[in-house]
Amino acid sequence: MAEKKTVLVIGGGFSGLTAAVEAAEAGFDAVIVEKNPYLGGRVAQHNKYFWKLCPPTCGLEMNFKRIKNNGNVRFYTLAEVEDIKGEEGNFDVAVKVNPRYVNDKCVGCDACAQACPSYRDNEFNFGMDKTKAAYLPFEQAFPFQYVIDEKSCAPDCKKPCLDACKYNAIDFNMKTETISIKAGAIVMATGWNLYDVSKADNLGFGVVKNVITNMMMERLSAPNGPTKGKIVRPSDGKEVKNIAFVQCAGSRDENHLPYCSYICCLASLKQTTYVREQYPDSKAQIFYIDLRTPGLYEHRFLWKVKDDTNVTLTKGKVAKITEDPETKDVIVEVEDIHAGGKIKATFDMVVLAAGMVPSTRDSRIAADIPLTEEGFVNAPTLKKGIYAVGTLKSPVDVARSAQDATGVVMKSIQSLKSQSLKRR
Amino acid sequence: MAEQVISPDLNFVKDIIRNGGESLKKCYQCATCSVVCNVTPDSKPFPRKEMMWAQWGLKDKLLDNPDVWLCHQCSDCTAYCPRGAKPGEVLQAVRKLTISHYSIPNFLGRAVGDQRFLIILFLVPVVILLTILGSLGHLNISEIPRGEDGGIVYSKFMPVPYIDTLFGLAAAFAVFSFIMGVYRYWKAISRNEGIKGGDISKSLISTISEILLHKRFKKCDVTKARAKSHLYVFYGFVGLAITTTWAIAYLYGYEFFGITASSLFHFGESPYPLYDPLKILGNLSALALIVGITLVVLNRLANKDKAGIGSYFDWLFITVVFVIAATGILTELTRLANIAVLAYPIYFIHLTFVFFLFAYAPFSKMAHMVYRTTAMVFARQTGREV
Repeated sequence: MAEKKTVLVIGGGFSGLTAAVEAAEAGFDAVIVEKNPYLGGRVAQHNKYFWKLCPPTCGLEMNFKRIKNNGNVRFYTLAEVEDIKGEEGNFDVAVKVNPRYVNDKCVGCDACAQACPSYRDNEFNFGMDKTKAAYLPFEQAFPFQYVIDEKSCAPDCKKPCLDACKYNAIDFNMKTETISIKAGAIVMATGWNLYDVSKADNLGFGVVKNVITNMMMERLSAPNGPTKGKIVRPSDGKEVKNIAFVQCAGSRDENHLPYCSYICCLASLKQTTYVREQYPDSKAQIFYIDLRTPGLYEHRFLWKVKDDTNVTLTKGKVAKITEDPETKDVIVEVEDIHAGGKIKATFDMVVLAAGMVPSTRDSRIAADIPLTEEGFVNAPTLKKGIYAVGTLKSPVDVARSAQDATGVVMKSIQSLKSQSLKRR
Repeated sequence: MAEQVISPDLNFVKDIIRNGGESLKKCYQCATCSVVCNVTPDSKPFPRKEMMWAQWGLKDKLLDNPDVWLCHQCSDCTAYCPRGAKPGEVLQAVRKLTISHYSIPNFLGRAVGDQRFLIILFLVPVVILLTILGSLGHLNISEIPRGEDGGIVYSKFMPVPYIDTLFGLAAAFAVFSFIMGVYRYWKAISRNEGIKGGDISKSLISTISEILLHKRFKKCDVTKARAKSHLYVFYGFVGLAITTTWAIAYLYGYEFFGITASSLFHFGESPYPLYDPLKILGNLSALALIVGITLVVLNRLANKDKAGIGSYFDWLFITVVFVIAATGILTELTRLANIAVLAYPIYFIHLTFVFFLFAYAPFSKMAHMVYRTTAMVFARQTGREV
């Protein structure tokens, strides 16, 4: 009765990874089902993350190593849960596994990508660049295995890939499979998506070229990003020496996300340091309603950024963003509340601090998941044996997600134990 | 920063909330409103500061503030407000309270803004008109004298001297009250803001030209259509005002100036033939009014989610204007069709509502034309507007 010992973790981001390795290290079996072709989720897309401001690999690699060292974790990438049947202690989960077209023989030599004639939009970099249709999601991807995006692979694209691979690692006969996983408890860790801030039509995203989101800024600043970490603006590649951050871009707004997304203030404060460190003569300005930095460490970070005289913090919500048609500079309109006047300021580039949308808001996992009005999982009313972690319940940062995942694993272990005691 | 003593008036907050600003307390001072507003000046923009004053109950600051009248309730602020605080509706409530604060006598200001007094306010013209008609014995339709051709002649139903006396008095009262109100208001707003001086007639001319062209209205985004509907209503009223003056000239002009009727212009008592220029102007104005006010209603209903539905104060005025336009047109049509049983009651209703409009103008939403114009002139005199 393996299911009594198995925790199914939906989502292989930081919360899911933590939940899986914690359960495995406590002697249980853990199965991760991940939609992307890689593990690591949103953390993998960051340049640096709190609290240590280290690159994402420093937290992720540790977890990957724990997976490798402990035989109790299995994972499926490119996989999505379709249906959850059964009860606590005895779940039967249908999982659709999409074909990767690359098997375990892949050594990551890049020959297929070099030979591939077709390109695809790179969603890992939020469409800011393209990869070949045969690609590695990012340099430190785990599993370290290429993927082929068949939809972007033109008819003449398959053969060069196949011919280039010396290891017989490419297999275009792979099909979508639906597998069944038996588990005693389920941990939902499907995380969050960035709010589609183009819905805030006054903020110009998607219209004004040099307006980007905070997550795009992470990619733009990351050494493995589309510009190899050089912070330049999308329209003309000009160095960004005068940047603005627009807080609450969709958050705390009943027309968009009614709640505070918790992390965006800190994220913008952090991102000012990216620009300030890269260009010592640069200027950054943050426009906010309230600067929210919950926690002592977080507040100290605010003080640190405040000490930089080239960073200006201005109270007032930006409500209009337009483009200078000549220079492609971004014009920001805001009322400086402390000074009491409307200002129009011009910047090289503007970052919208967009908020977190729980992944459950748009795609519900097959089971009857009770949601709050805002689309978060209504955790107390979840079916017995099913648990939710991290940003599924409220916007939180990485550290708190990890703490929550560890706590939730305890709950799922208790669930497994109570069931096996009953059956005995 | 200099120390300031503020004295919140909590009852004023309640007044705002009661008068359509019920969403006031939701505001969290983000200033989205001031930025999306296309008609606010750049320095000390509205409506964020007004929202703060309103939340704090700073009655004097709000009542002495001409900015609330520079607002044309485009509702761009309300549509973009992240909290549903509806600044447009709050400022409308403040304007209503401004009208009842400055217009004299004060009790009428309170009564017009309060649903409970509606019947009493209507009873005044109804009782006066019924008394007149009763004394003439015209309450019985068959007793009412007809014209030479047997057609309906309203001036035989309600003779001209009665009309002129009653409405002349109502209008004189309104004018007096307006003058007093504007005087008090001007004094209050100039207490805080120094008048830069300059030629006031210049400011007046530029204000009036702005009003005639509806320049400000056209800057609205969310409720763009309002510029058109308000323009129709506005020119409907202007046309009717000219018609009324013209009719007075017809009535008394030939005696006074010693001029006589021509084939086109018909001096003496109504009804005038349909081809008389006065009649044409009157009918066109009535059409503009009914089309305009219908559009006003439709716009409000279409925008109710984004802009808010409006308050009792708004709807009372809209209803009065609508009834005046509708009964005015029907009065004429039923006369032409010679349906006495409809014609006289409709005319009676028409007179009742016209009295309501005239006599209570300084206390109803009608007063916005006077206070807004005053504030716009003031804004030019102080350099806030050019």
